[in-house]
Amino acid sequence: MSEKVKTIAEVVKTIPDGAHIALGGFAIARNNISVAHELIRQQKKNLTLSQSVVGLENDLLVGAGLVKRLIMGGGSLDRFGPVHCVNRAREASREFAHDYSSLSITFRYLAGALGISFIPIKCLLASEILERLEAGPASKEDVSRMKCPFTGEEYLLMRALNPDVSFVHVQRADRDGNSQIDGPIWSNEESVKAGNRIIITTEELVPTEVIRREPARTIIPGHRVEAVVHQPFGGHPTGVFGCYDFDAEHLKLYVNHSKKAETFPEYLKTYVTGTKDHWDYLEKVGGLKRMDELKAIQIQGY
Amino acid sequence: MSDVPVRPTEIMAAAGSRELHDGEVAVVGIGLPQVTCVLAKRTHAPTLTALLEIGVINMDPKDTPVGLADSRSFYRATCWSGFLDIMGMNLHRGVVDVGFLGALEIDRYGNINTTLLKDEAGKVRYFNGSAGGNDVASLAKRVMMILRHDKRKLLNAVAHLTSPGFVGGKSRKELNLRGGGPHRVITDKAVLGFDSATRSATLLSLHPGIQLDDVVAHTGFALQIPNPVPLTPLPTAEELRLLREEIDPKNVYLG
Repeated sequence: MSEKVKTIAEVVKTIPDGAHIALGGFAIARNNISVAHELIRQQKKNLTLSQSVVGLENDLLVGAGLVKRLIMGGGSLDRFGPVHCVNRAREASREFAHDYSSLSITFRYLAGALGISFIPIKCLLASEILERLEAGPASKEDVSRMKCPFTGEEYLLMRALNPDVSFVHVQRADRDGNSQIDGPIWSNEESVKAGNRIIITTEELVPTEVIRREPARTIIPGHRVEAVVHQPFGGHPTGVFGCYDFDAEHLKLYVNHSKKAETFPEYLKTYVTGTKDHWDYLEKVGGLKRMDELKAIQIQGY
Repeated sequence: MSDVPVRPTEIMAAAGSRELHDGEVAVVGIGLPQVTCVLAKRTHAPTLTALLEIGVINMDPKDTPVGLADSRSFYRATCWSGFLDIMGMNLHRGVVDVGFLGALEIDRYGNINTTLLKDEAGKVRYFNGSAGGNDVASLAKRVMMILRHDKRKLLNAVAHLTSPGFVGGKSRKELNLRGGGPHRVITDKAVLGFDSATRSATLLSLHPGIQLDDVVAHTGFALQIPNPVPLTPLPTAEELRLLREEIDPKNVYLG
């Protein structure tokens, strides 16, 4: 078996411009920050992103101008504020985002993960969300309606979503890519297993014996995984349950820059393009001292 | 404690809590909905089940979370799962009795906008979008809305219909929606319900100290008004003690 353990720079080099990428975060939880930063450093172009609930990672990519299309269920940075860069892009072009809900995006991934081409759902009906989808470029391509052939009930049909590359940041994985997630998993299992390629970033790279001790925690089995990146604090400034808390100070600093288009490039320059990799970024945001302050108390998980 | 005046948020939490029944299943958000559920659980509804869309059941936070995605929301849960379980195999499956939703705007039929606002010149500003909001509004048996009573928030027509209520005054069956639709609107001034025939918002009660004229002036659509208008019951001494000493002692959501 070939070696799956890679660096972030190595895996991001394999992502073509124009790819459809699904990242694994939710608002300010377990974001693929190290991946988002490296996509920006390597200046990927015309990406399509999909996500159930958009968080900081997608806001970064949109703010850096890498994204052509966003397929989203909603998004925020919890009480730290809205996803300003995403919202600005939506204000600039009504076609930029295809808007859904959390569950409808999850169902689209589920269909993709199961290898079925569409899925019925009882959401979005009678809403302006659906009205816009049916009037816009997603019409016919992604949404349709039908009556159940057995009961006659009216359903919305949605096309399966299969990202070209699905990423997720997990608490632990082994060298084969067997990946375990602690805490809630939102749509991680569906978005990852719908992916045509699966790349894991992990807080801890553990021997397989550790995985074997609690196999029920393995959400993504290694045989599906193309590459594993070991990146401690890879979700900073978002929180990773059981590992570290979100960094409230840095999130405030981020929002202070992201709320205006004019100040956002300064953030990117200082923390992303001005750093050579995620370790360098971690030094810039306070290094070991700050990371130690954020480290979770094991019995409470944050 | 009794000499501290009762705050509108406390009246809202107590009013919401009384709408929840023991043994029910509720999808909640962080903030007043969570405070409301905890209050119900610690008083008349100990076996109420609280679900968070992110994939958490019956959490028991000891520190106040900043949102759904905060690990503080996951603390002492009885189950960790994901959207597919909470929003799919519970909500879509039809076992969720109550869903709590906030809103940028609502209209008289309980339609909710959480997506965008338009200024007078027609310029659009985007906000958080649906997330689980449309799913809850479409599928929960009863929907409870919690928002500030403001003429710019309770409108004749919402700027964007993110989550459906009784759209155009139609029945949920006509709309092909499974959930029962809007049930209550709890504001800092009043509790609203929906007329079973017209499906339009009706005034159910005024909070103590609030004048009817004030509510009418701050409502952007014509309310059906009963005569006489009942008063929303004040929180009991025990409810106030729970809210102030145990549930939100730092006034993160009640302040």
